[in-house]
Amino acid sequence: MVAYIIRRLVSVIPITLGVLLITFFLFRVIGGNPAYRIAGKNATPARIAQISKERGYDKPLFLNLSNPFDAQFPRLCGQLVRLDFGESITTKQRVSTMLREGLLPSLCVTTPLFVIETVLAIVLALLAAYYRNAWIDRSLVVLAVMAMSISSLVYIMVAQFWLASEWRLFPVWGFEGPQYLVLPVLIGVVAGVGGSVRFYRTVMLDEMNQDYVRTARAKGVSGRTVLFRHVLRNAMIPILTNVIVAIPFLYTGALLLENFFGIPGLGRLTVNALFNGDEDVIFATTFIGSVIFVVANLATDIAYTWADPRIRLK
Amino acid sequence: MTARRCVLALVVLTTLASAAGGAAETVLYGTGGDFKGFDPVDANDVESADQVGRVYEGLLEYSYLDRPYHVIPRLAAAMPEVAADGLTYTFKLKPGVRFPDDKCFPGGKGREVTADDFVYSWKRVLNPRLQSAGDWLFVNHVLGAEDWVKKWADAKAAVDYSDPIPGFQALDKYTLQIKLHRPYPQLLWVLTMQYTFVLPREAVDFYGAEFRNHPVGTGPFRLKAWRRNYRIEFERNPTFSGQTYPDTGDANDRAAGLLADAGKPLPLVDRIVEYDIREYYTTWQMFLGGQLFSAGINKDYFEKVIDPQLELTDTLKQRGIRLLKAPLLDIYYLGFNMLDPVVGKNKKLRQAFATAVNVPRYVEVITNNRHTPATSPIPPGIAGHVAKPYPYQFNLARAKQLLAEAGYPGGKDDQGRQLRLTMIMPGAGSTDVRQAADFYTEQLRAIGVDLVVQQLAGSEYLRREHEGETQIFWAVWVIDYPDAQNLLQLFYGPNKCPGVNATNYQNPAFDKLYDQIVSMPDSPERTALYEKMADIVVDDCVWALMTYPLSYGLFQPWFQNYKQHAFPYANWKYYKVLPH
Amino acid sequence: MSDATNNPGLWSIAWRQLRRNKLALLCLAILAAYTAVWMYAEVTFWNARLRGVTPQYKESNYDIRNHPPSPAHPLGTNFAGRDNLSQIIQGTRIAFEIGLLTSFIVIPLGFALGAVAGYFGRKVDTVVVYLYSVVDSVPGILLIMAIAYVVRSAVDRNEIFQFITRYVDSGLFAVCVGMGFTGWVGLCRLIRAEYMKHRERQYVLAARSLGVSDTAIMFRHIAPNVAHLIIINFSLRFPGLILTEAVLSYLGVGIANEPSWGAIINDSKQRLWLGNWWELAGATAAMFFLVLALNLFGDALRDALDPKLRTAETK
Repeated sequence: MVAYIIRRLVSVIPITLGVLLITFFLFRVIGGNPAYRIAGKNATPARIAQISKERGYDKPLFLNLSNPFDAQFPRLCGQLVRLDFGESITTKQRVSTMLREGLLPSLCVTTPLFVIETVLAIVLALLAAYYRNAWIDRSLVVLAVMAMSISSLVYIMVAQFWLASEWRLFPVWGFEGPQYLVLPVLIGVVAGVGGSVRFYRTVMLDEMNQDYVRTARAKGVSGRTVLFRHVLRNAMIPILTNVIVAIPFLYTGALLLENFFGIPGLGRLTVNALFNGDEDVIFATTFIGSVIFVVANLATDIAYTWADPRIRLK
Repeated sequence: MTARRCVLALVVLTTLASAAGGAAETVLYGTGGDFKGFDPVDANDVESADQVGRVYEGLLEYSYLDRPYHVIPRLAAAMPEVAADGLTYTFKLKPGVRFPDDKCFPGGKGREVTADDFVYSWKRVLNPRLQSAGDWLFVNHVLGAEDWVKKWADAKAAVDYSDPIPGFQALDKYTLQIKLHRPYPQLLWVLTMQYTFVLPREAVDFYGAEFRNHPVGTGPFRLKAWRRNYRIEFERNPTFSGQTYPDTGDANDRAAGLLADAGKPLPLVDRIVEYDIREYYTTWQMFLGGQLFSAGINKDYFEKVIDPQLELTDTLKQRGIRLLKAPLLDIYYLGFNMLDPVVGKNKKLRQAFATAVNVPRYVEVITNNRHTPATSPIPPGIAGHVAKPYPYQFNLARAKQLLAEAGYPGGKDDQGRQLRLTMIMPGAGSTDVRQAADFYTEQLRAIGVDLVVQQLAGSEYLRREHEGETQIFWAVWVIDYPDAQNLLQLFYGPNKCPGVNATNYQNPAFDKLYDQIVSMPDSPERTALYEKMADIVVDDCVWALMTYPLSYGLFQPWFQNYKQHAFPYANWKYYKVLPH
Repeated sequence: MSDATNNPGLWSIAWRQLRRNKLALLCLAILAAYTAVWMYAEVTFWNARLRGVTPQYKESNYDIRNHPPSPAHPLGTNFAGRDNLSQIIQGTRIAFEIGLLTSFIVIPLGFALGAVAGYFGRKVDTVVVYLYSVVDSVPGILLIMAIAYVVRSAVDRNEIFQFITRYVDSGLFAVCVGMGFTGWVGLCRLIRAEYMKHRERQYVLAARSLGVSDTAIMFRHIAPNVAHLIIINFSLRFPGLILTEAVLSYLGVGIANEPSWGAIINDSKQRLWLGNWWELAGATAAMFFLVLALNLFGDALRDALDPKLRTAETK
């Protein structure tokens, strides 16, 4: 077990490096030199050159023959090891500070959203699986697909306008207290639950088609007992995968929700950075999101062994 | 840029009774956006200038009510003595101005501002490590500035501020001298800009990289709380003193009630709170909710707010809401890259392009009359502007004729190939930009030209503009100070890409005039030259002139003392809130 | 499923099963209607494009801008006085073009990589798995945006690519490349798993012992047995693309000069607060019914063709 975990941990390194290369290539190599933005509209050519030099943009990209570590990519890797993500062009703040400040507000939205959605989806999926092919199941499936066929943008716009502004049921904007989180979480749940219900239902139906379920039923075990005692437990693996893989989302935050409702989290940070073309911030969120995803995947694999002893680690 | 300025004007104001009872504390609730922290050297956008302007101050500032704009002393005791050759400016500082108490000072007690502080602060603007965008204020003007920058840019070591710049001299505690290469009549404007504001060295040394988050300035307000990306709060700076509300103003100002508070000590509000609201409709809701002191007018909301006679609709009027509009000094234009093989060498083609764009129509449908058609590269309100008709006013028939004369009859070249032009606009994904892009494409199609508009993200747009990788570029120039030189530098040959002359316009006759005006003090002769230079540029059609923006704002009845200002960054201290 | 190289039975069995599913038939009818609208939009678009005139949906009439619904304009008019209904009809074209253009990247890439990885295994497999693990790890929307941004500026800048913008909007092209280069992972996984199974099957071993080349086995013998996966994958991926485009539009990397549904929704954002709901309602409804029909039909198709796939592909 320990050896397996170590081996998997080591396998994370090349993937992280690959992610780093992709993001570096997209943001630094092609994204270009932000010196013009920093130098402002009255920029003198001399200052543009100075800024490029100060920020290391005049260095070779990958390899400097005279000094192998004095190129942009190795320097970037060195920075990341020190958890230094550079500074934002639009706010001149350290990106690591911005990320630290944005984490809590993001978690305030995404954690309840994630928990409520998962629990609700599992309950609805169980319901659908229990009454499979009856009208309840069919209408649940159609409803779930309908819910996931509307753009999340529309959910937010409509809810913010009617529920918050017109009917005054919720605050329109702000991050002053728990009541400010209710509507964003609600929208997130409604927009996301459809897809989860559909997925969990198929997982459970697949499990119910297994031989042991039929045997149990033939032996006279009640449908409810089978569902809760056997099916749910065995369906835990795909459910766990689904849950863990969604963890990076907790970190990157609800991009659109935060932006529309003025929650100063990482999602809003990212969207603003995208609007402003703030390369270092986008780079950092992308990179950290990727690393968390890789680690979450690793956690899934390890969690398998815990949830289902049938799986043996190779 | 005007969008940001609208944001500036979107200020929410409420009055809260203080818990202690008795005197009501007045609080100004507003909306702000991203800014670069409180380091004066980084105040290179409207938002940052505004924030820095609250907590820091410089030698000079703009008069609030007087027009045309002029400067008055702020931390200087009086206007400077200028030597007869115009090369030496000597300032006397006001004695007794103190930095506020802060833990960066020994014993936590603030100290008096001295001439050395100014020298230090200005060296920081030039420090290449700090990457300030304000170096152009001093470089090639102040004696020794460029050598100092060059020396420290090449040096590996950290910048040593004791290394002198001959042009910046602290003669004694209260006397400051600036020496120049050649006369620099814009220097007084420059010293009102936030880059030049004074800060204590102790704060920089103490806070290091975090200095930008710990302002220690002499300004009317000080930072109280700040949740980045969401909310910022200022309170009255107890050590700010010595300034009262101005008593100079014309009859209009008096009629508008702008002189009611003349002589009262500043600032007039106790706190300022700003929220970082990005969607206009949120601001609008809050304004209608009565919490807002002001709201700009978004294009889509215009007809709800303003009736066809450009007056406020009755519902808003009944609530006592006022509409204030005044011209800004900015200009919107389409620049042609003069090095482009197609548009650069073909004056008739540029003229055809300019003539094909129906600017009055643009003003009506795209800006909802929040702009006026431009007639000169120098906006009205600045010496050098002449109110005469623009020679390339929209005229479809004439545009077609000019296009034919340019060698593209009906939009086809001599081999029958379709003429295709490319224009870049900043603001990828913005609805407003997309609508404007659609408009231009349609106008050009009417004369048979295929115009492709590329909407670019900010840094990509700037990069292409600066590197001359454009054919036509949509642009706006937000003026730095009310002197036409600030605009005319955009046509000066030596400023070509990657400098500010993004059109790469080269005209020896124009350059000769420019060399003449840069060192001329304000005079009728200089204004005459400005007019002549504007005519040259218009005749060559280097820019297709678009519009001059107006500032349009809605204000609650209980918000007082607001006068539209082209450089409003230090004006927060004048605003007042009535109990309501 | 039989191991036969050609499998005519599969499709007719599937069709028989689909025919019994009333919901699937209804969805098919909806999809047919959308396809008709799409064809109509393409004809309108190309007719104008080839004749070099302004298409009717792009003609502005600033005198009637932002008008509410009327008999002449059942969904009102937009900021430029253009008929919203024809904008939304053109949006159908954009939606389908996104689906197709993206698939031009996803299908060859996902299929080829999945096939070689599954068939050859070992080092090839390691490389392919590494590749898709990396792509999968980067947050999707950010990677799409970055690629789209890069592609767009390349297309805008280089003369070589200029020909593309004559036929396809550069923003549309960029978004499709972005979604293509992130979207191949799902298909690649499926195909890889399927090839791993098939390479041990009798018919493959037999073909190999007869000296048939690997390429021929991969593409002539195994491919027909897994072809249905591509169709299933497409029908389940398509609705996601349409929804993603809307978000991309909001984030500023959408389609610039054509009325995609995402762009229409984004444009209507401010005006909704002035009670101008018809633009939003029109685009949302158009998007909703297409995505819904595609989702439900995709499910039915998958159940009919390959019920085992359910858990692998639903999400």
